[in-house]
Amino acid sequence: MKTNELTWALLILFIVLLAFILPYTLLTNVTKWYGSFLLWIVLALITIIMNYFLTKNWGKK
Amino acid sequence: MTTSLVWWAISIYVLIALVIAFLSRTGKQHNMESYFLGDRKMGGFVSALSYSATTYSAFMLVGLAGLTYNGGVGALGFELIYLMGVSLVAFFGPRFWVVGKKYGYVTPSEMLGDRYKSKYVAIVVAITNCLFLIPYSAVQLSGVGYLLQGVTNDAIPYTTGVLIATLLAIVFTYIAGIRSVAWTDSLQALFMIVSSTVVVLILVNGLGGFTTFFKTIETTQPELLTVPGNGFFSFLTFLGLTIPWFFFSLSNPQVSQRLYMPASLKSLKNMLMGFLVFGFIYTLVAIIWGYSAAIMFPNLENADLATPLVLSSDLVPPVLGVIVMVGIMAAAISTIDSILLTLSSLFAKDVYGNIKKNTSDRLQLRVGKIVIPIIALLAYLFAEMQLNLIAVLSVASSAGLIVVVPAIIGTFFWKRGTAAGVLSSVLIAGIIVILLEFFQVKPLGLASGLWGIGISTILFIGVSLLTKAPEAKANEFLSYIRQALKKES
Repeated sequence: MKTNELTWALLILFIVLLAFILPYTLLTNVTKWYGSFLLWIVLALITIIMNYFLTKNWGKK
Repeated sequence: MTTSLVWWAISIYVLIALVIAFLSRTGKQHNMESYFLGDRKMGGFVSALSYSATTYSAFMLVGLAGLTYNGGVGALGFELIYLMGVSLVAFFGPRFWVVGKKYGYVTPSEMLGDRYKSKYVAIVVAITNCLFLIPYSAVQLSGVGYLLQGVTNDAIPYTTGVLIATLLAIVFTYIAGIRSVAWTDSLQALFMIVSSTVVVLILVNGLGGFTTFFKTIETTQPELLTVPGNGFFSFLTFLGLTIPWFFFSLSNPQVSQRLYMPASLKSLKNMLMGFLVFGFIYTLVAIIWGYSAAIMFPNLENADLATPLVLSSDLVPPVLGVIVMVGIMAAAISTIDSILLTLSSLFAKDVYGNIKKNTSDRLQLRVGKIVIPIIALLAYLFAEMQLNLIAVLSVASSAGLIVVVPAIIGTFFWKRGTAAGVLSSVLIAGIIVILLEFFQVKPLGLASGLWGIGISTILFIGVSLLTKAPEAKANEFLSYIRQALKKES
């Protein structure tokens, strides 16, 4: 695994850990749409954007 | 929703799908690679839609909507963390793809057998996949049976629905192998997402628009907007559900086999990105669907009734309701036909091809085609019998298939992995998962999937360190991947 690839993997892993931890700690009492509902949507969008950058050079050679 | 309207909708859907399936036939399907992998020439757009239709079954608008109804926002977290897990394709996809082209692998278990230099690895992994995925298909068939029975008030009996789904899955698979599956999948994916999105927008609008919609939930059922909320999604429950699904893109052969099919790395990229966008939208649709049911029909005894009730409510025009119903049916069938095709390739290539000596590619293809209706018949019988063990194996499917993940990771990232490590991890952890599910036991409060991945990882590493690795093969395999990836990207 190249260093660049490993960096992306660790970043995505960090986002996934946030998705597990934050709703069950900081957001347990936030009963609004901008609590866990919004957080999970934002984290998923960040992951999709990361995948875009991770794969954008595939097949260009 | 009248019965005649339902029959008309099903007839139109079947007719369009059959035309597309027949149009998908190009060239001769005379070998395994052509029939099961589309000659490794699949385009990105069709691959993305087909991957989406294969992954997303009737579970989304029935099961996930029901989970939202019961447990609230935790269902969104569960499904979106699964979607984040598909990022594994960004790391494993190119590796699957380059070795698939180089060594001519047709199935993931064939790859494992070759990499660990053991035909028993291929046989055991293939049989494990069949053990969990045939019951999973049976439950999908049952879903269609219950859906048609529910929306027509028993006018279409359960058995008729199951039979329709079984026959369609066989036909879509048979006509042109993966080509007819991929093209009918694409039609069904578009059908699923467009129809359900339109209905969800109508529902939200009918319930006062987005602001009022969430205001209503915040005031009447605020526990649905937080975890653990009403206690349904305790952290351990959430973890037990989510971890097996996080690895779905590697553990389930009907999707990991797709990594061999794209024509190029660019097509593979388009497949991944297309799927991520599709999955994100479809997940939001299913969750808002569940919330709508919670607003419209609070206090239902059985959350699985939420979707049929929403479909037949005053807010949804009958024609749209029946279109979404067909969309849910399409979601189930597009999942079943892909599983049928993959399992028949596993049986022909890895079980028959390894047990019977010197079988030609053509003979394996013939066996694969014979096995398709046999597997479909098994799933049909399981769906009809509704045995407890079938339900257990189906529920355990994501947890049971996860036991192969350490071996797959080892294939690409660990030279010391051995066949003994794979066999012990898959067999022992697989049996433990089945026993935990059968007796409904959760040692230390942890679900079977967590024990499955934990035990299989420990066994794979431990036994591998005690046995001799196929070093020459590992070195050749991994150095080829390094060179090929350097050349490709």
